[in-house]
Amino acid sequence: MATAPRATPFSRHLANRFGYGWTPALQRQVDRAGGPARWFEQQLTGVGVSDAFHDTSRGWWPSLTLSGPQIWARHQAGVQEYWRATSDYQRWVLARRIHSERQVLEAMTDFWENHLHVPAVGEAQAMYRASYGAAIRAHALGSFEDLLHAAITHPAMGCYLNNAVSTAKAPNEDLGRELLEVHTLGRGNHTEDDVKASARILTGWRVALWRDWTHGYDPASHWVGPVRVAGFEHPNADPDGRAVTRAYLRHLAHHPATARRIARRLALRFVSDDPSAALVEHLAQTYLQHGTEVKPVLRALVAHPEFRRSAGRKVRTPEEDVVATYRVLGVRLARPTDDESAANALLWQTGNIGLQPFAWPRPDGRPDVAEAWSSTARVLASFDVHVALAGGWWPREQVSHRPARSWLPARRVRFAGLVDHLSRSLLGRPASPTLQRACREVVGVGAREVVDASHGVVRWDMWRLLTTVLDSPAHMSR
Amino acid sequence: MTLCPPQGPTPTATPAGAGCCEEYAGLTRRGLLRAGGLAAATGALTATFGATTTQTAYAATRSAPRTLVLLSLRGAADGLSLVVPHADPVYYAARPRIAVPKASLLAVDAQFGLHPSLAPLLPMWQQGKVAAVHAVGLPAPNRSHFSAMEEVEDADPGSSARVGWLNRLIGRDGWEHPLRGMHLGDAVPPTTLVGPRPTFAATSVERVEVAAAGDDDGERGQRRLRGLRTTWGGAGGPLGQGARSALGAVADFRPARTSPEAPRGGAVYPDSDLGQALASAARTIRADVGAEVITVDHGSWDMHTDVGNLEWGDMKNKATDLAKSLAAFFTDLGALGDQVTVVTVSEFGRRVKENANWGLDHGHGTVMLALGGGVKGGYVGRWPGLQNTVDADVLVTTDYRSVLAELVTTRFGASSAQVFPGFTPETVGVFRA
Repeated sequence: MATAPRATPFSRHLANRFGYGWTPALQRQVDRAGGPARWFEQQLTGVGVSDAFHDTSRGWWPSLTLSGPQIWARHQAGVQEYWRATSDYQRWVLARRIHSERQVLEAMTDFWENHLHVPAVGEAQAMYRASYGAAIRAHALGSFEDLLHAAITHPAMGCYLNNAVSTAKAPNEDLGRELLEVHTLGRGNHTEDDVKASARILTGWRVALWRDWTHGYDPASHWVGPVRVAGFEHPNADPDGRAVTRAYLRHLAHHPATARRIARRLALRFVSDDPSAALVEHLAQTYLQHGTEVKPVLRALVAHPEFRRSAGRKVRTPEEDVVATYRVLGVRLARPTDDESAANALLWQTGNIGLQPFAWPRPDGRPDVAEAWSSTARVLASFDVHVALAGGWWPREQVSHRPARSWLPARRVRFAGLVDHLSRSLLGRPASPTLQRACREVVGVGAREVVDASHGVVRWDMWRLLTTVLDSPAHMSR
Repeated sequence: MTLCPPQGPTPTATPAGAGCCEEYAGLTRRGLLRAGGLAAATGALTATFGATTTQTAYAATRSAPRTLVLLSLRGAADGLSLVVPHADPVYYAARPRIAVPKASLLAVDAQFGLHPSLAPLLPMWQQGKVAAVHAVGLPAPNRSHFSAMEEVEDADPGSSARVGWLNRLIGRDGWEHPLRGMHLGDAVPPTTLVGPRPTFAATSVERVEVAAAGDDDGERGQRRLRGLRTTWGGAGGPLGQGARSALGAVADFRPARTSPEAPRGGAVYPDSDLGQALASAARTIRADVGAEVITVDHGSWDMHTDVGNLEWGDMKNKATDLAKSLAAFFTDLGALGDQVTVVTVSEFGRRVKENANWGLDHGHGTVMLALGGGVKGGYVGRWPGLQNTVDADVLVTTDYRSVLAELVTTRFGASSAQVFPGFTPETVGVFRA
């Protein structure tokens, strides 16, 4: 029984945007750091922020530390089907978002993995999907130039967008096209000739699909000859095309159209569904001035008045809803033992609401606007997950849920005070009159009624109150 | 099924109690296996709290005498594999490995034949209930999946407002109800449905329920619904609209949710996402909850590699799933099928020439299939003739909007100018009233 630390509107906003949901524990970290601005800086540098959860939880799923050939060998030996390796990875990512102290790093890894999307479902890229995520995380707060190179030349991307089977004789257009349209310049900034040249430049990065899964650069597969793409020109005379790949990706990363596309996607993710042209331009200029470095752009975004004004204006995606619900309810995951274990089962909860992490079926990444995540199916499934977690009904294995009476702020409290405490604990703000009224309606208790541990509200109905708070626009938005 | 979650305040009914909640947990596990969840576990009905569970925010739903099912083949489906122009010699020259041999084609006429994996549709074809419109697509080539899909689904090039053509179709008169336009199979509605008119989405029929406020939840459930209406009554934005549509329509959807799960007429749906979505569609249509428009997505047609041949490959697999699912759907519907028209749309087609990876890169024209009520069966459209160059596309001779405009005018009495603004449709001859 403790009162929740007071959130300031800005600390709550920052934690809901650059973290996976404000919690009293996170507020204490913000307070210890000396305020939201210092907390954010600490998160960017990582100095003094533990990454222990990432390291220990990595051992929860054996496939996460295996190479592509090893995952395939286990599949053939009947130990684990290869497609389960991607589920392991999705679950690990969710667990990290719930429990990691490096919230901003996780949020940016999420952002870039969605921008440079390789689905974490089945198919050939399963052999390299966890490795791909690690490569993205390593560069998530570095430069886009390095990040882009790591992603485009990674075997997971090669498998997904068919660059792994592209040859000098017959370049496959898939990755060459999406690199221009999705990953860098965006629509309307390239021609069909650019697509062809882009595909030619990228030839050579091979993966032995469905054979031994080795990967590497094969000069014999590289198309040789002059290339021109969107202002990039190169004689491309060397069969070892790794240098031209590097130069080409550097050119794209520093292109003003790429800057605007990255800036707009960041603004969509972290500010609002309709960011102003001025904000996008400001972020794009910051990106170009700092040689595609990510941190200065994030600092500029957080410092911008439009960011501060946007609190609560983003709808939580299915995975964000599930993660934030675990976080605010204080549900603790433990090492999973089977499919019923919470750290495994939570993946189905995200799918039920609408989409598992990295499960979007197309290369453009999941949509990030309210319109996509506001369907009746989403709303009803969110209510369903909230009930399951608030009541501790499911999942119940390898997990701890807070006991109902732990939500009492004092030995005795009036009902309105209990609701206010729940609102401060779950939402980081006092209860609105609407929430007070909804809670009274749900359990049929008056505002002034005194509640203690023997009261029916605590003994039977606490989950109904918690669900009522979670089923609100304030929790389903960020 | 017993009453779960428990109602309190008796000790045996505490949330952590044994008995009913073990059953509850067990049911949940079974739900999990079907990727379902709590809603599936609490879906049984009791007579006591029937249709009174929710006071709808909408006027009562009304019957939809006809239903349009829009099936989107996502990723750009290769029309030349589905409906093969066997008489065009370029087809075989351009596709030495992946062409479908003439001898294996079905429903062969002088120009075309169907991929053999479409065999489940052959009985309907022979009854004249299936049409294939070839060389259809956007008026100008657009090799971007994302902008082509937007163009196809918004279908209003003159406007920057993001309103789908199906939202305009259900907005053509004063009858407003979320169940009038619904998306089945997943939670993200397609652009076709987006717009000012409220719509509905359901991942499966069973899951259309407010958790802990269903048929078994009695007075506590009523209290919960009251609280949810208070919570969402004044909420803004798309989420507010989605929540109010859900709370307002869930009771009206109840006849579909509680309808028998078993398909009729001996229909067997494939255990695929498409099969399950169409099974949900059949139940929804049979329950007559007012669904005039239903959208269903079928993904993974983006075959840059492994189109394959008749022995193996993605085309064989996808075409089989498509045909089995659609055949089961119409078998399941029986005589009701005459009220239901399915039309397939894909954002574009693929190149004429196969690539080095047994695949096909992005092209232009493709094929649309139309099945069911009002369809004049057979091969339709003007064949442009193929070219065998690296970049050659199937040229588009019929704008996809002409097909859809004919459908909405002949079958739904809609105005083409309202649904497809600024577009002058040509007569295609694929639908009749």
